[in-house]
Amino acid sequence: MRRRLPRVALYTTLLVILGIAIFPFWWMVDTSLKQPVDIFGGVTLYPRHPTTTNYSRLFNVYHFGSYLQNSLEVVTVSVAVSLAIGTLAAYALARFRMRFGLNQSALVVALLVRMIPGILLVIPLYITLAQWGLLDTKLGLILIYTGLNTSFVIWMMQSFLAEIPRDIEEAAMVDGDSRLSALVRVVLPLAAPGLAATAIFSVIATYNDFLIALSLTSTQNAQTVPVGVSTLIGKIQIEYGPMAAAGVIGALPIMIFALVVQRHFVRGLTLGAVK
Amino acid sequence: MQRVAEPEKRVRDWPGKRFLASPYLLLLPAAIALAGVSVYPLFYGVRASFTHYLYGRDFGLNGLTNYRNVWHDEFFRQAMETTAKYVIICVTIETILGLGLALLVSREMRFGGPIRVGLILPMTIAPVVVGVMWRLLYDSGVGVTDPLFQLFGLSPPDVLAHNTSAFYSVVLVDVWEWTPLIFLILLAGLQSMPQEPLEAALVDGAGRVRLFLDHTLPLLRPVLLVAIVLRTIDAIGTFDQIYVLTQGGPGTATRLISIYAYNTAFLFTQFGQAAAMLISLLVMVFLLMIVAVRLMKKTAT
Repeated sequence: MRRRLPRVALYTTLLVILGIAIFPFWWMVDTSLKQPVDIFGGVTLYPRHPTTTNYSRLFNVYHFGSYLQNSLEVVTVSVAVSLAIGTLAAYALARFRMRFGLNQSALVVALLVRMIPGILLVIPLYITLAQWGLLDTKLGLILIYTGLNTSFVIWMMQSFLAEIPRDIEEAAMVDGDSRLSALVRVVLPLAAPGLAATAIFSVIATYNDFLIALSLTSTQNAQTVPVGVSTLIGKIQIEYGPMAAAGVIGALPIMIFALVVQRHFVRGLTLGAVK
Repeated sequence: MQRVAEPEKRVRDWPGKRFLASPYLLLLPAAIALAGVSVYPLFYGVRASFTHYLYGRDFGLNGLTNYRNVWHDEFFRQAMETTAKYVIICVTIETILGLGLALLVSREMRFGGPIRVGLILPMTIAPVVVGVMWRLLYDSGVGVTDPLFQLFGLSPPDVLAHNTSAFYSVVLVDVWEWTPLIFLILLAGLQSMPQEPLEAALVDGAGRVRLFLDHTLPLLRPVLLVAIVLRTIDAIGTFDQIYVLTQGGPGTATRLISIYAYNTAFLFTQFGQAAAMLISLLVMVFLLMIVAVRLMKKTAT
């Protein structure tokens, strides 16, 4: 009995906290599935007459699809490129002893770049992109996110690659592999979980970013999902349904992602818990 | 960008392949990318802070004028104060709650996995969406806060419409979203902690509280510091939720430095002054970042 009581208390406490953690999200889902009349019809914890009109309005009237597509392109390209160049750099840092204390200082720089609050970067980036004619383009966003993600990739992959024993790739090199083909053929498959964690976290950070995308884009040419969500708020003050639906669509891809790859995800968050 | 594909594709038949695999060359593309989003913009930002802009156009250097304007600007001081208050309150609450939560679920337990995932859910959601979610909750027409107050016989407050309640409402949102981060870092710290000293102390008959104060807390201290410093740096840059929820209002009640600088730059096109504000801020944040790097290098290994 003595041990049971605290356990009941523990689980009750946790249940309440979980409720608090999940309720705001549920409220948004709930609102997004309600008929306009029901949205204003007082607090109900589930949609009484569930409908998808809010979602179809979101896509048909407010053209939310273009934001999704922009996000998809920007996230995919920038994460892929930063994974490639960041992993190469991380490999160099993990395997070679370089001059000028480069191994240490490169990691520190990578970490610093990751930590700079976005607001400190956007004004100079805005001026620079304006000079290059890259404002309001996906290419502009891709370039910036690639740089920011690369810092994170270096920091993460360096630690993962350092864990992999050298003997393995040295054996491959004896067998006739060059260093780079050994990296691609032998080392990277072993580092796959780390690579996955890194990729996941980069995807989340890039997909969720708001400030940079907000400052550097102005039309549906390049605006990403978070910017789309915020412009909707401005446009449709009273249309809570589509607004909630936009929020759900903004959050859902990442949440599903997080649930599917739980373990990697937690590692990514704790190691790269900066942004 | 083409540099990326180069080494991998052409390595087999390219005569200079050994050179390509030299560590400095491997580092080069990443170094360029990093410099492009850090060194270059920061250099440019410093230059912008000494430049006279009119309607967003560059009218040459103007010395310290921007800085002088900024430091005499009543609203800048106010925004800095609001930010400081916001950061201190948020980080304090988040640290206490995060630590408590981490201690609650650090031991092996049934449903431990799903519970942990549920608890970190808030921090995976884009801050903009978090802003939307809480707008729906706080809204006086469709939300739950007003009905909740009425339930207890109180008058509906319309929380985002009044200075104090708006401030604490955005604090609550921050706490909701970021307590999980501190929780997660501390959880990782707790789980990698050596168990023997704890068990020894338990055998010696130490009480729970003693145990926590004498053993767990000192061991957890480095990780705790990392969590606090990282969270502080991040909180100083808070922008997204506030932008969606209150835009800094009502009045200036929730106008953090990021919102003020953003408005100065992009609403009033005073790039020079905004840059001067941010460089001033950067000097302060930079000290924190150095501390963070030191701490992280210590705990990472």
